[in-house]
Amino acid sequence: MMDAKLIYANLIMLLKEFHRNKASMFFVLLFPIILMLLFGFIFQDQGEMEYDLLVQDLDGGPNARNLTAMINSTGLFGVTDVDPSEEPGQYLIDHKANAMLIIPEGYSDQFDAIMLSRTTGLPVNETVSVKIVYDPANSAAMTKIGILNSIIDGVNKGASGAPDVLVLEMETTVSDDFEYIDFFAPGIIAMSVMTTALFGTVGMNTELRQKGILRKLATTPLSRSEWLLANILYQLCMAVLSTISILLVGMGLFGLRPHINLFLPLFVLLNVFAFSGIGMLITRFVKDADGAQAAANAVMFPMMFLSGTFFPLETMPDFLKTVANFLPLYYVNEGMRAAMITLDEGTLMTSTVILVVLAIVIFVLGVLLTSWKHD
Amino acid sequence: MSETIIQVRGLVKVYDELIAVNGISFDVKEGQVFAFLGPNGAGKTTTVEIIETIRTATSGQVNILGLDIKKNRTDILRRIGVLPQEFSSFDRLTVRETVQYYSRLFKGEPDIDELLELVNLTEHRDQLYMNLSGGLKQRVGIAVALVNDPEIVFLDEPTTGLDPRARRDVWDVIKGLKKSGKTIFLTTHYMEEAEVLADDVAIISKGDIIAHGTTSQLIDQYCSTIHVSIRGAGPGVEEVAKNLGLTLENRENGTVTIEASNNDQVVEILNNLKARDIKYDGLDIRKANLEEVFLSLTGESLTTGGEE
Ligand SMILES: Nc1ncnc2c1ncn2[C@@H]1O[C@H](COP(=O)(O)OP(=O)(O)OP(=O)(O)O)[C@@H](O)[C@H]1O
Ligand SMILES: [Mg+2]
Repeated sequence: MMDAKLIYANLIMLLKEFHRNKASMFFVLLFPIILMLLFGFIFQDQGEMEYDLLVQDLDGGPNARNLTAMINSTGLFGVTDVDPSEEPGQYLIDHKANAMLIIPEGYSDQFDAIMLSRTTGLPVNETVSVKIVYDPANSAAMTKIGILNSIIDGVNKGASGAPDVLVLEMETTVSDDFEYIDFFAPGIIAMSVMTTALFGTVGMNTELRQKGILRKLATTPLSRSEWLLANILYQLCMAVLSTISILLVGMGLFGLRPHINLFLPLFVLLNVFAFSGIGMLITRFVKDADGAQAAANAVMFPMMFLSGTFFPLETMPDFLKTVANFLPLYYVNEGMRAAMITLDEGTLMTSTVILVVLAIVIFVLGVLLTSWKHD
Repeated sequence: MSETIIQVRGLVKVYDELIAVNGISFDVKEGQVFAFLGPNGAGKTTTVEIIETIRTATSGQVNILGLDIKKNRTDILRRIGVLPQEFSSFDRLTVRETVQYYSRLFKGEPDIDELLELVNLTEHRDQLYMNLSGGLKQRVGIAVALVNDPEIVFLDEPTTGLDPRARRDVWDVIKGLKKSGKTIFLTTHYMEEAEVLADDVAIISKGDIIAHGTTSQLIDQYCSTIHVSIRGAGPGVEEVAKNLGLTLENRENGTVTIEASNNDQVVEILNNLKARDIKYDGLDIRKANLEEVFLSLTGESLTTGGEE
């Protein structure tokens, strides 16, 4: 039997507790606000959402200009012209872009020839192609290909039925040895290592505080920085375990074949240092278990949405892109991707330097700001 | 006279608005069991944790083992052992692993089996901490407090929440520690615990030490009443009390208790009973205890006073 009075009394008690717990309340409220802001900004101008598309017109003829104009007129793409002298793959890397449409030389003439031959009833199974060079790691590139395909469909329908005239050839910026899964693996590793390190640290330390174990540790010669480091190392073990299992599952089930080099463990290590360290700082300042959880959530979600793992940054407002540049996970992602797929040295170096500095700053803060006396 | 090993002078601790410790001073002598007796919220934990260097005093001086708590934190920690209030440990370590873990923190190499023997945990050494009963958990806590062979052992409410049997077991362990020459700083709100174990008792209430001395000194000074309980007494007992000018209390179970204020009065009561040929079934003569001392000092009872 349920007693409504008892339920009510409990409800009131819980609400009171919540209301009296300032930290927990702050983060419990902050969290939905952050989510609301994120989604609000992402979707507020949905009607005008526009992807960037690089177009390299090697033809320059009227049909080529026509195609570009058509792409432009959809309003879905902001077209940027690329000088014919550029090498597409390199250009994409240099400009941190993810897709370039190439209209080959002779496109206009070929197009006209096919159309002519069709009207004269000659054999019609000839086609003309344009090519898209893209970064398969980037989900925005995939969306762009989808939109381009539908534009090209429109061209083909307009060109009086029969077999298609225009074909979109696809070429990735990386060697063809890689499968789609390869491009997701780095992001997934980065994400899961971050989550375990952050929540593992916060969860464990709040539990130990609640049980009074931290107070007992304070009466031993164990120093706070030793404890901090022990926590980080413990989380590193967790991270190694989860990384290995992601790799094994990926390799075993999905044909994952990433490059394996020392940068992979390095980024895992830096990832753990940064986020385990942030977790220690959270438990230092948010004493209450629920509040600390909520604070960890507040750290995690911006990383998840804005570091480009699951949601393309490209369609986001500029200031959110700027925010992304300040998120540690963004650099972990970039670095891991470079380590496992592109082997791009520039990215490896910048990510390494930024993350090393960050890890040191967080560790030093952890050592300076936390003391057993606060527990 | 033994040496002073802890010296507290004018210790004050203020939390926001609340004065938890209100300028207390006391000494603890080497080799003694010192009991800090007080109800919930009296300021016991605050005081011991300041002495243990894990809380910061608002003002006042504390010297322990000849060291200043403000300056020699690490040196002090190496020479004391602490059983915090509501001690708890890692769920999934065995008893032996737990003691081993803590001894590693002190970089010492104590004989762990001997330690476990000392607190009577040998037969439970391979049990997980989470599966132990409350009394065993407390004994693990005491073993952990001994890993560095400390000179002073702080035990903050070591028997709160234990059943009488488990409590007695912990008392035995504490007596053993005393025998081995350690100084013991015990906080408790059980007067019986202080009476059984302590050489020296300080009674703390609302942040002030309201009395300090040995159990018998405290009783003599603050509550010298001797309770003479007479069971199944025939008529005329009231007369005896009245003649001697003493208070008499009638209990429902047919027992009357006369409160004498000294030994002579007890003898007089007994003589009167005999002289008047008053028959009775049983007789019990009991001195006041610390509970009554506390009651007479504060008007509150020790176990229900303060905030429960
Ligand atoms: N960290 C703190 N912040 C604010 N107030 C505190 C804090 N610690 C203790 N107090 C308050 O100080 C007073 C003394 O607390 P303390 O824990 O020292 O008492 P105690 O004698 O050990 O009680 P108990 O028998 O319940 O353990 C209490 O009123 C308590 O609420
Ligand atoms: Mg206490």
